[in-house]
Amino acid sequence: MLELEKKIEHLRKDLDYITDIKGEIFGERLTEIRNWLSEIAKKIYELPRERAETALNDIEAQIEFFEQEAEKYLEPLDYVRIARHPYRMTLKDILENVYDDYTELGGEEKCNIDPAMVVARATISRRVGSRVYTHQVMVIGHEKGHGEEFRNGGSAKPWGNEKALRFMRVAETEGIPIHTYIFTPGAYPIEDPPGAAQQIARNLYAMARLKVPIIAVISEGGSGGAEAIGLADLRLMFSHGYYSVISPEGAAAIEGKIKEGQDLPPELVKSCAEQLKITASENLKLGTIDRIIQEPPLGAKGDDFEFFNQLKHEMIKATDEVVLKVRGLSVLRGYYVKKKTGEKNNAVYVRWELDEKEISKLLKQRAEKYENMGRGFFADRRSFLKKRVDEVCYGWLKIKSLLYFGIFKRPYRWVKRFVDDLRGEFLIITDRVLRPFTNLKGAIEKKFKRPTVQLAYEVPPKEDTYLGEIYVSPLANEDRTISCPNALRYGCYDIWVPDLYGELNGVCPNCGHHFPLEYQWYMNHLFDKHSIKEFNTEIASINPLGYQGFDEKLKEAVRKTKRHSALITFDARVRGISLVVVMLYSDFRNGTVGAAEGEKFILACKRAKVLRRPLLAYVHGTAGIRIHEGTIGVVQMPKCTVAVREYIEAGGLYIVVYDNNSYAGPVASFLGCAPYQFAIRSSRVGFAGPRVIRETTGEDVPPDYHSAENALKRGHIQGIWDRRDFRKNLYMALITMGGKNLYYR
Amino acid sequence: MPKILIANRGEIAIRIMQACKELGLDYIAVYTKEDEASLHVRRAIEERGKESVFRISSYLDPNEFLEVADYTKCDAIHPGYGFLTENYRFARRLAIRKRPLIFIGPRWEVLREFGSKINTKCIAKRLGIPVVPGSDKPIYNEIEAENIALELFHRQWEEGIKRPAILVKASMGSGGMGIEEVTHPIELRRVYRRLRQYVKRQFGDEDVLLERKFPVFNHIEVQLVCSQHGEAVHFGTRNCTIQSVFRQKRIEVAPAFNHNYKYQFDPEEVTKRAIQYSLKMADYVGYDSVGTWEWIVTPEGQLYLLEVNPRIQVESGVSGSITKIRHLPVGVDLVKEQIRIALGEKLGYKQKHISFHGASIEFRLVAEDTKCGFKPWGGTITKFQLPKYDWLKVYTHVPSDRPYSIPSDYDPNLALAIVWGRDIEEAKERGEKFLNEIKIEGKNQEASIVTNIEFLKERLKKIQMFE
Repeated sequence: MLELEKKIEHLRKDLDYITDIKGEIFGERLTEIRNWLSEIAKKIYELPRERAETALNDIEAQIEFFEQEAEKYLEPLDYVRIARHPYRMTLKDILENVYDDYTELGGEEKCNIDPAMVVARATISRRVGSRVYTHQVMVIGHEKGHGEEFRNGGSAKPWGNEKALRFMRVAETEGIPIHTYIFTPGAYPIEDPPGAAQQIARNLYAMARLKVPIIAVISEGGSGGAEAIGLADLRLMFSHGYYSVISPEGAAAIEGKIKEGQDLPPELVKSCAEQLKITASENLKLGTIDRIIQEPPLGAKGDDFEFFNQLKHEMIKATDEVVLKVRGLSVLRGYYVKKKTGEKNNAVYVRWELDEKEISKLLKQRAEKYENMGRGFFADRRSFLKKRVDEVCYGWLKIKSLLYFGIFKRPYRWVKRFVDDLRGEFLIITDRVLRPFTNLKGAIEKKFKRPTVQLAYEVPPKEDTYLGEIYVSPLANEDRTISCPNALRYGCYDIWVPDLYGELNGVCPNCGHHFPLEYQWYMNHLFDKHSIKEFNTEIASINPLGYQGFDEKLKEAVRKTKRHSALITFDARVRGISLVVVMLYSDFRNGTVGAAEGEKFILACKRAKVLRRPLLAYVHGTAGIRIHEGTIGVVQMPKCTVAVREYIEAGGLYIVVYDNNSYAGPVASFLGCAPYQFAIRSSRVGFAGPRVIRETTGEDVPPDYHSAENALKRGHIQGIWDRRDFRKNLYMALITMGGKNLYYR
Repeated sequence: MPKILIANRGEIAIRIMQACKELGLDYIAVYTKEDEASLHVRRAIEERGKESVFRISSYLDPNEFLEVADYTKCDAIHPGYGFLTENYRFARRLAIRKRPLIFIGPRWEVLREFGSKINTKCIAKRLGIPVVPGSDKPIYNEIEAENIALELFHRQWEEGIKRPAILVKASMGSGGMGIEEVTHPIELRRVYRRLRQYVKRQFGDEDVLLERKFPVFNHIEVQLVCSQHGEAVHFGTRNCTIQSVFRQKRIEVAPAFNHNYKYQFDPEEVTKRAIQYSLKMADYVGYDSVGTWEWIVTPEGQLYLLEVNPRIQVESGVSGSITKIRHLPVGVDLVKEQIRIALGEKLGYKQKHISFHGASIEFRLVAEDTKCGFKPWGGTITKFQLPKYDWLKVYTHVPSDRPYSIPSDYDPNLALAIVWGRDIEEAKERGEKFLNEIKIEGKNQEASIVTNIEFLKERLKKIQMFE
């Protein structure tokens, strides 16, 4: 009888699940079955056992039929529902059933620094012939805990991501592969130290060159939170999961310009979910994931043991695949793993430890993989001839740089180093010999010696580009006054607009508040006269997902700005030092980052690397990843971070300067990972805006929550720069910071 | 009839009102809460009625002045001295706004040129005019500053000066603000750094210059009057060597040198040179208002340009009182001249029509503790009576018929007295007489009033001397 009751309970759960996911297409039929089931449940002790059993089997068959029927009609929004459903499998279920045994690191249940992020040392085993091989892996992932309150729905806090990073490093030291499971609707958008954006950026930066294979599996991939542990060698995805740049509700709120507190129209949410291309199959088409793990109809729940068995083989196979790709002796096994898909008993044995050479190959492949991700989702508006010319030019640059830096400068450096050492040694001797004489000379001479060589110091040329002699902001052509927002606190007088935007450079003379200025001002005032040379201007943003109405918006932006993307890349000079500049500006679609911007960014990185120039990322404003490009936008985060890491490791100097408002994805990846980050006074830097924070955490944040001062306090940025001193500070930064491979070192 | 907004307080406001009255112009006066009891408010109400006087919150806010000016349909603004006088942005705003107003003072371009001491020095050097030894370019780093300082110190040692010193000055500073003394090269970096910070906060520009300090010198000034039509005349010189420790002038004497004294140089020749240089520079920049060129004269007769004050000065009256134009009686009101020039009139006289008669001394009566670092005194004045003579001119905003509490927001200046005599000895005698006859009483919670009368008396004996 107990068995039957269990079965009834199980069936009831299944019924609830179907109702939740796709109840509306079956209408009354589900209710009928439910009634039938409760009738049997009531009379279970009265009915003969056989009759009850057959009835339950009938119901089970019905439910199975319904499940298969519902599976056919699944729409994108239903995948969201499945991924969020409390009955869906969680990381704990996977740990219990896929891995042989595991030890949770950093606490269990509530007793944990962040219960939404689970890290476990686990073993996974396979049987080859009669032998059992056991592998050690580090499992990292979000835990939704079947809707437990303290798990926060899998939203990892900054310190949760920090924990993940810490144990990734442990895995790196121990040389064991990492399996990450992404079950998150997004990162928890609070800025408490280490800061949501900052920590995700650090994770990405570290994962870009983590020396062990990483396999990521996505069930619910919500933008930045997913990327925090998602930069992997192989990205798998559950067939009933979703991977998206923003939740469909969030997209709908932005698209429909819904005010806070208003209800979202369900049709809008649905259409957003469809247009964002969030399902596994669509993501596979876009190339943002590598493979799909097929789940049972309507998705795997916590008790689909057969599925977990399959998942185990998939995970082993995926890890094998990554390892075999970099292994020297792997022809047969590589072929086997590739061809013999779906076999339950994998007859291959692969050692998962990597040696130095394999690791470097692994890292190279990882970089290549991310570099190619999201390619082909932007338009190159160059003519065929221009493309060829550019290619040749770039090749020539490469050769020139190799000739100059590799062949000419390197031996020169060796000689110089040796001579320096020699001179140092020699000085000891000469000093000993000459000391008595110099002492005597000093004693004879007067206390203060007249400087023998006058003007031994070099007087820098007078700045000719500063003080707004050439470019005056068009904002200045108005005869009115403007009030400083700090007037009540500091008693600033109203400022006359022509003065403010002309001579005062948009800075309140009393309190130093910075009023926003357009990006052209910076291009004209920051760099040497006539030194700006733009490149890659023809790389244009397009509408890769065919998002409804986005084409018009894009056209409007192009018409307004006369540019094709939100990122400007150019060569420029600051007091004679050449550098490569990338500039995200907010006039074009709010400075959002999509495929074109990502591509331009990595091209600029490469150019700076080849020419050994410093790289300045000036963020005039960014609202995050462009939601209209869906996951193609999201993968720009790892893509650009990998490029940045390569550039920095090559001995360059990467400086990021934030201005106005910089939020979300870019800050949480390729901008936030820079070792030198600065902000212009009165700017705002953060992960999510106040509204998103209020909606996710239910808490109001103070108005200065994202201010540059607070970013400095929590360690996100390294300093606040005054706009008037930008050029000076930048010059000082260029000559004092950075790696040893800059061209002027 | 043009209407003038008097954007200042106290004694200068009264002088402008007087000038307006004499020229037959209408005016609007303003005051702040602290100045309610001031005489300039009372006089404006008496002369123009209550609707011509407006209360504002600060004399430093250009917006408020413009609001008042637009509301009352003023044609010109007289900034007086201090506050917005040398603010070229204010002058420029008046000139290029939608409803332009006349700024009674020089063109804004000139204000900008002379706003920076470094720039003033550059112009002077270009014209071959001697300037105080020191830096004449923006200094970029501390090493450079130290080199210049060492050079300056070394020269002074060579000359055998026992206690050499240099001054670190803010390029934008004025009225004694942003100047510090360095007596040893070791101190330089500290002072330099501190002053730079201070200056950046105060003036929004961190340019600093280093100059030699003269242990003994006389500070003389040349009063120029230039019109918009290219005319330029001088109104003689004056000597402003007696200053407070904060480098605010306390006694001014016109003419600059006493011919009865024995100087190591020929005073005639030096003043002539100073005037020549001043006129040359005024011509070069196209100066078009009343202005003062400040010079330093060493005991040996060396002449150095210190700075240019493109405004009407407190001490303009002292030059005016010894001047005579054609056959008019002695005494010219330079405020009146300034307003006339700003409204576009020609001077109407030439240098040959100007003659100088007698000598004149100006005292600035200030409530301050001269023995205690010139600390300003605040409190209520209960009795304030000044003698009246035909050789004495007094400008004061302190009422004598009722108690007056000194506003703590501004300098505690009480009165400006100009004493005239047929020669300098008579002027000194009369000055002493005047100082002795001042009756002033007042108190605050701690003590009774402290003024600088004793200081003035003591220093009066030593005017025009090098010591």
